Amino acid sequence: MPEFTAYVPTGEKRWRERFGLDFEQFAVGQKFQHRPGLTLSQQDSRDECLDTLNQQMLHFDQQFAAHTEWKQCLMDSTLTTKVVMGMTWKTFAKRTRLLGFDEIALTKPVFGGDTIYAESEILELSDWPEEPRVGRLKVCTSGLNQRGETVARLVYDVLVARTGQDYFARINY
Amino acid sequence: MNRHASHVEISPGVFRERMGLFFEDIEVGETYEHRPGKTFTEEESSPQALRALDQSPEFADGHYHRKVIGGLMTINPLHVLAVLTGMMTKTFSKVVANLAWKNVRFLEPVRAGDTLYAESTVLEKRESKSRPGQGIILVRTTASTPDGLVVCTFERHILIYGRGQGPYEAAGY
Repeated sequence: MPEFTAYVPTGEKRWRERFGLDFEQFAVGQKFQHRPGLTLSQQDSRDECLDTLNQQMLHFDQQFAAHTEWKQCLMDSTLTTKVVMGMTWKTFAKRTRLLGFDEIALTKPVFGGDTIYAESEILELSDWPEEPRVGRLKVCTSGLNQRGETVARLVYDVLVARTGQDYFARINY
Repeated sequence: MNRHASHVEISPGVFRERMGLFFEDIEVGETYEHRPGKTFTEEESSPQALRALDQSPEFADGHYHRKVIGGLMTINPLHVLAVLTGMMTKTFSKVVANLAWKNVRFLEPVRAGDTLYAESTVLEKRESKSRPGQGIILVRTTASTPDGLVVCTFERHILIYGRGQGPYEAAGY
């Protein structure tokens, strides 16, 4: 079983937290279950909207939302997306750049009180010739609710540092 | 009523604000320039990432950022995407649900102090087969600095109410 470490030694009986896999440690077909999950509230959705110029009242006017097929405020999908990606940071901490998303699909509605977990699968690995110290990963990260239903599916490309080439190593972080 | 009307006269001399285009009022090939723009701030960089459980030092640790990246703090690209999506909600307001983003490209990093403007072009529209009275549009959104540097592009599939559909009148909108 491959072992991934959460620490680097910094002295006698001293360890420093160090997150993220090197590019070489990833393999196509690997799946990562990210922890912790996060319970999202209606207040979170409201705050996200007001912080991002989002005037869609379906997310923050309960009286309006009660007249829709959802019967309650729908979670702002930009918050769901942010949280699902945010949860992945420890495994992908040696990421140097997020190139973009092929797709962010919102597959089921999310409501205040739902709990979101993230899972990632490695789809592709390739070299990145213009910057040899990194490699490119294509990843599918899914957001799951407390019933295990997929609420969001994100497919994206990231550049991840090769062994010894990450910023943490460079600045002794 | 004019599809671009900003108010509806609900009784003589009494005007209620309205926002957004119904499915029939959206024309393929038209471009909408969203206002206001938004200036991203040093103060929002870290909290926006932390609230999404993202502790990447790129967003959380100014010392780390100065040593490996330099310049003002980088804004989490997921937060940039959220703000750009929020900017679209006044024109694309008659929304049943956000279905998906496609081909999201982060072309340039966004730093604290940067101001972005978004515009959206309607690429396609079709009536929903499974949801009478609703339709799906495909729009392409481009975000630029005031100098015209394009920093992010993406497409969105959005499910939109047709005229006379949705909870607007019943909910007092």
